[in-house]
Formats: sequence, C-alpha cells, structure tokens
Amino acid sequence: MMFEVLQIVVPILTVAAAIVAVYFRDLLSATIALAAMSLLLSMEFYILQAPDVAIAEAGVGACLTTAILIFSIKATKRMEDEK
Amino acid sequence: MIEVFIISAAVILISIALAFIRLIIGPTIPDRIVGLDTINTLVIVGMILFGAAFKESIYIDVAIVYALLSFVTTMLVAKYLEGGRM
Repeated sequence: MMFEVLQIVVPILTVAAAIVAVYFRDLLSATIALAAMSLLLSMEFYILQAPDVAIAEAGVGACLTTAILIFSIKATKRMEDEK
Repeated sequence: MIEVFIISAAVILISIALAFIRLIIGPTIPDRIVGLDTINTLVIVGMILFGAAFKESIYIDVAIVYALLSFVTTMLVAKYLEGGRM
C-alpha cells in the first residue's frame, strides 16, 4: 500500500516542480526548481527499482545540467524580461 | 518489521513535501537553496531506507554516489551569490 502512495505522491511533486520551473521569472530560482525536478525524478526511477537509471539521472540532471545553467546565468543576465 | 520502514518512508515523504513548499514560496534565493539541500539529504536517507527494506546492496552504492554528487549544486549557487569569479 505504501508503494502505491509513493507512486502517486512523488510524480505529483515532480510535475509541480516542473511547472514551477516554467513559471519562475527569476532564472536562478528556475534552475533550482529544475534541480529539484531532476532529483525527484531520480527518486521515482529509484522507487521503480532501476538504480542504474537513477544514478545516471542524478549525475547528469542534478549535477552537470545545473552547473552549466548557473555558469550561463553568470555569463548573461539573471532576470527574464517581462513582456 | 516492514511497518517500521513504512512509517519511516511516510515521515520522510512528509518532510520532502514541507521542504518542497519552502522551495516554491521562498522569497529569497538562500531559502530556496536550503530547501533544495534539505530535499537532497532526505532523498539520500530515503534511498538508504529502501536499500535496507529490500536488502539490496546496490541501492546503498547509488546513495553513496548521489551523496558525493549532490553538493555541487549548492556550492555553485553559493559561489554565484557570493559574486566575483567562479
């Protein structure tokens, strides 16, 4: 029963993190929300008993992508323009 | 014996939800990054808990590698907020 609850709650948190990452105007906050989304997706792979996929997702998504995005925010500007 | 793991997983899941709320509504960047770091630690605890519940040692290895990798995001955001060269 507990695994069904986990299978419901963890994807809901993942989708919520993705939606929040889209709607943030501050790009640094959006990057942090994207890291949280990748982290929760890794947790979902882990619950589905695929630990090798989870380790690849954690290494690439939560570490490398966030690092590259923060370097690019540092090189450009932080706030997205309001239209 | 399995009830112990179920109760622990429920507590960790509630904690992840609370830290996630702080990550969403946090007014400043340090609030959000502390929330993300808390979620990192709680996910590592959850992975080790699953490894103990399923009695599989490969899950513990995944948790170790993730604990080694997860500090990079927090460190880079801290370096960004500090300013200067990265």
